[in-house]
Amino acid sequence: MRGYGALTGAGIRAAGRDLTTVFFTFAFPLVFLVVFGVIFSGQRVEETGRGYIDYIAPGVLSWGVANAAVFGVAFTLMQWRNDDILRLIRMTPTPLLSVLASRYALAVVMGLLQTLLFVGVALLPFLGLRLAGSWPLLIPLLLLAIVAFLAIGMIVGSVANTPEGVAAVANCVMLPMAFVSGSFFPVDMMPPWLAAISRALPLRYLNDGAAASLAGRGDLTEVAVAAAALGGFSLLFAAVALRVFRWSNDT
Amino acid sequence: MSGPAEPDAALVLSDVRKRYGTVRAVDGISLRVRRGEFFGVLGPNGAGKTTLIEIMEGLRVADSGAVSVLGHPPVPRDVALLPRLGVQTQKSAFFARLTAREHLETVARLYGVPAARAADHGLALVGLTEHADRRVEKLSGGQRQRLAIASALAHEPELIFLDEPTAALDPQARRDLWRVLRELKGAGRTIVYTTHHLDEAEALCDRVAIVVAGRVVALDTPVNLVGGAGLPTRVLVPEDRITPERAAGIDGVDRVSVSGGAVVLETMATARVLSALDDLIGLAGVQTRTADLEDVYLRLTGAEA
Repeated sequence: MRGYGALTGAGIRAAGRDLTTVFFTFAFPLVFLVVFGVIFSGQRVEETGRGYIDYIAPGVLSWGVANAAVFGVAFTLMQWRNDDILRLIRMTPTPLLSVLASRYALAVVMGLLQTLLFVGVALLPFLGLRLAGSWPLLIPLLLLAIVAFLAIGMIVGSVANTPEGVAAVANCVMLPMAFVSGSFFPVDMMPPWLAAISRALPLRYLNDGAAASLAGRGDLTEVAVAAAALGGFSLLFAAVALRVFRWSNDT
Repeated sequence: MSGPAEPDAALVLSDVRKRYGTVRAVDGISLRVRRGEFFGVLGPNGAGKTTLIEIMEGLRVADSGAVSVLGHPPVPRDVALLPRLGVQTQKSAFFARLTAREHLETVARLYGVPAARAADHGLALVGLTEHADRRVEKLSGGQRQRLAIASALAHEPELIFLDEPTAALDPQARRDLWRVLRELKGAGRTIVYTTHHLDEAEALCDRVAIVVAGRVVALDTPVNLVGGAGLPTRVLVPEDRITPERAAGIDGVDRVSVSGGAVVLETMATARVLSALDDLIGLAGVQTRTADLEDVYLRLTGAEA
């Protein structure tokens, strides 16, 4: 695929030369994990008798990976359009698919590194996550989820024309979604109507799938449902993203 | 649609129009650029030059009219046509935090041409070899502009669009770029470019189109434009040699003014006036200034003082 390697290489170099952004992308969900871990330290969830960390770790991890994918691609797309980088690419024979594939590759690298670090910290004794045997299923689930959230980021980055716009729109999408999807506290604690709404949100399925695979909260059916739902969301959002995509701010 | 078959035409535009709201940015422009031609687009800011170039490049879509680029329509995006075009936009676009060399390599790879060679060649072409490892953000305005030009040439395109390529360049860099552009023309490339430097257009272009308010008001070789404009020649005589009154009495002199230590005689009959001056006071210290493209331009764009 022409241009894929070039764009991925340029993206990796750009990220490697902006370690502040990389550091805080990794640190952001970890800060949440530690804060929630300390707040609920020693508490057990009644029905299962398992530690609260088994709830919160998959949830915060899911939100962290999704958030990084959305913000990363949204900022890049907006910036590339403002800086005429997209027009430059538009004038080369590189297909749009290469542009998207390179951003996907970068988001996957970031997402997997984030996950590795996050799970590593969650396993520390003071947080005490216990890894279920099905944890490897988290990886294909993340690969699917990153498609869906990358597509959301593309939509945000196509709609917003300024960094402030990207931050406003992406936060407005991602923060409420994180709460309603149960990233920070169990969906069971919510009123039933809100729990029903959460079924329409992609992050809900990533949370459930991550909880089932990583912490064994749920069975394989849960993982399969999550994968199917994330696949569906990916198709839907990708279709919208391709419709709203613009090579330049003016036509 | 690509209009009538014109195998030797690099660009054919017929009655191209583009409006932004009530502004007619391009208001019925037709022109034809031959292959191998160096074609200049001149005009005041806001005349529609950039819009016109962007319509040729396929970056903007005309409201009506036909555009043919190397025999193909520029829109929709045609990945078979794109490698044959080289585009430098006014706003220099660089990949964040890369060095000049890395940026050129990235662009070359987007075109699918050997990256290291294209980068070496491009850097040398625009005199940036010394700054190859400097980050694009750290380059000066002129260096950025030169890098943007090198990016447009990375894949050795047939048809090159340059939008004010010399705007941020110092005189030396500007002359260096002239050399590059002449070499490209010598190698048979077609160049379409916009500029505000009239001397440059006169020195480089085979033909120029002067665009005012979205219309072509003149289109010819610089020589024909200057010759056909009927502009007077100025004969400058040092002030201490002749009085304005006496100068005004010479047959063939249309207007007399005093400027910069000289009595300036405007005439359409240069030979007659010089001959008369020779008889009256001799020609020592007398200079003649023929009209140049800038005079023609100022007259056509209505900006003459």
